[in-house]
Amino acid sequence: MKLEIKDIKKSFGDKEILKGISFSVESGKALGLLGRNGAGKTTTIRVLMDVFHANSGEILLDGKKFQPRKVQIGYLPEERGLYPKRTVMEQMVYLARLRGVAKQQAVGNAKKWLDRMGMSEYQTVLLEKLSKGNQQKVQLASTLVCDPEIVILDEPFSGLDPVNSQILQEVVRELIADGKIVIFSSHQMSYVEEFCEEVVIINHGEVVLSGNLDEIKREFGKDQLVLSGVELTAQETETFVKEELGSMVEVTGTTKDDVIVRLNERTGRKELLKKIVEAAQFDVEHFETYKPSLNDIFVAKVGEEA
Amino acid sequence: MKKLFTVFQFEVMSYIKNKSFMITTILLAVLLGAATFLPRVFDMSELLGIDNVSEEKPEDGSGEPGESLDEKEKTKLGIVDASGYFQEEMLKEAFWDAEFQFMDSVDALEKAIEGEEVEAGFHVIDDLHYEYYVLNKSIMDENQYVFNSLMSLVHKQVYCAENGLDFATFMEEYEADVNCEEKILGKDGEQNYWYCYALVMVVFIMIVMYGVMIATSVTTEKSNRAIEVLVTSIDSAYLLFGKVFAGAVAAVVQVGLILGAVLIGYSVNHVYWGDKLDMVLNIPSSVLIGFAVFGIGGFLFYAFLYGAMGALASKTEDVNKTSGAVQMVIMIVYFVVMFQLQNPDGIIMKVCSFLPFSSYTAMFVRIGMGSVAFWELAVSAVLLYISIFFSGWLAAKIYRMGTLRYGNPISITKALKDMKNAE
Repeated sequence: MKLEIKDIKKSFGDKEILKGISFSVESGKALGLLGRNGAGKTTTIRVLMDVFHANSGEILLDGKKFQPRKVQIGYLPEERGLYPKRTVMEQMVYLARLRGVAKQQAVGNAKKWLDRMGMSEYQTVLLEKLSKGNQQKVQLASTLVCDPEIVILDEPFSGLDPVNSQILQEVVRELIADGKIVIFSSHQMSYVEEFCEEVVIINHGEVVLSGNLDEIKREFGKDQLVLSGVELTAQETETFVKEELGSMVEVTGTTKDDVIVRLNERTGRKELLKKIVEAAQFDVEHFETYKPSLNDIFVAKVGEEA
Repeated sequence: MKKLFTVFQFEVMSYIKNKSFMITTILLAVLLGAATFLPRVFDMSELLGIDNVSEEKPEDGSGEPGESLDEKEKTKLGIVDASGYFQEEMLKEAFWDAEFQFMDSVDALEKAIEGEEVEAGFHVIDDLHYEYYVLNKSIMDENQYVFNSLMSLVHKQVYCAENGLDFATFMEEYEADVNCEEKILGKDGEQNYWYCYALVMVVFIMIVMYGVMIATSVTTEKSNRAIEVLVTSIDSAYLLFGKVFAGAVAAVVQVGLILGAVLIGYSVNHVYWGDKLDMVLNIPSSVLIGFAVFGIGGFLFYAFLYGAMGALASKTEDVNKTSGAVQMVIMIVYFVVMFQLQNPDGIIMKVCSFLPFSSYTAMFVRIGMGSVAFWELAVSAVLLYISIFFSGWLAAKIYRMGTLRYGNPISITKALKDMKNAE
């Protein structure tokens, strides 16, 4: 199964929120939708779910027009909520049946997911009687009760306590292993980095970066090195780099202890190492290939405006 | 359709699981049903003005209920009657709870009133003239009315005596019963008025009460944020229709149970009521069918609009604000129909009985009290049910448009404008 979003544009009044969003994701893979607040992540998801109609562009599932109500989708919206005055089982069965699942099957699925969340004993309890953490678990179980092929989670980790985050992580891993398409938006890069093979970074309604995360990291780290000296601060290392190696590299960033540099076109690693050894009055601690984190990539792509 | 039924079922269960709804239904049905049995248990003949339980006279044989009253409780009245028309017995019969003091002069009467020895008094001038004396006249003072009838009787006695007529014979002819057998070829407006009045009230209360419940149920899904999951799972029209139909069923069941309990109770006990409530509870089947067709139609018409108004609010406390315009229309229709209830065949009622937002009440009033041709019924019903479809369609559009618009309530004009722009 392949879901493709092609050049989606969406405006509210005169304000263009999405300016041509495109990406694709396949079964058994997770796609992380990243962006700052107001970047257009939730609007993209809502267009995908047909909550909003796009002004232009198309969404295809296996090459055919995507109709969200004709495919089993587990959708966890950013604005969450269920029925406080109804029992856990009642609302889970209701939501599954709205998705076209037969009653018996819905009851079975609800039991399965409540069991998975460790919530079996709360089947007949009113939602409002549960703790906030348990309500979150019910919400997640309700998302999955229709046994979805596609799972769309909008900011799923926001507001989750560490225990529930752990459960959600495990569930997402299981969904990926089961061959589902998983799309989720998040601010928490560590989660995206952990699950997602594909990422899409949206800024001001445009995709500023998309593709396979490993390839992005490789490309982003290409010709960049991490340098540091024993007992040297990052600032001291940076000063050394600028004074002694300025013609060979440019500083692209610093961390707490290290300096990140990019080799210029004429300089090779061997040549640089030789120069460092000759010029340095200190012992070299790090001279290695830079492997950027998703957070580094995200900040580099959209963070400069912060 | 299966999904529509799923929504309907879920929403009906919401009403059934709503404790206050169930308790109100059962309590009212039981209490009002039981109330129809009251005349079996208690003597309500005086209250109802019927003869099945006679007024008991005091056991001392004094003849009138008033005689058992303590002397101090009796009203004290004075009378100056120089011509001697009035005897004590005659006054006692008319003023059974009063005690009369005969006085010689008007001065004595005035002094007695000012000294509060008597509450009021009469000065009889001749058989057609008298003066009424009282210190402070109460709004409830009925002494003059009673005394007027006594004076009238005295005048008749005097007239008979002066003209050599036998008073008994004269009175027999004077008060001879006139028998009339009504042959109403059309409708009895006098009798039908009260149940039409009651049904107009019932349908008005149903629409306002359950309409607000439906609007609140729509708003609740916005305020608890369940709406986004719902509209991505099912067509929003199904959600709205399911809610409205469930609200309609809840309304019909609740009102039906309460009215049913009263009607059954009354049919069992109508003899004990002296058939006094026939004018409200003995409703002809033609009017009941008209009420069902037009009342339920009107209910659905407004229920959809209430659902749409609920979608314009994000918080349940804003429902009254967004549904104000619809409430206003319902109120205007209610008052127009009430004011025209005695003129069911007038032009206003005729027009109202065809307009979809008023036919639900105006038409069954015409069925009950006026003359309606079959084609009028058919045209009005068709117009109403087409309008229900239209109001359902419009409500579904507004509902869908208002789905994710949280924050301040959206005005109906803005909603319609946004819908137009969206298209």
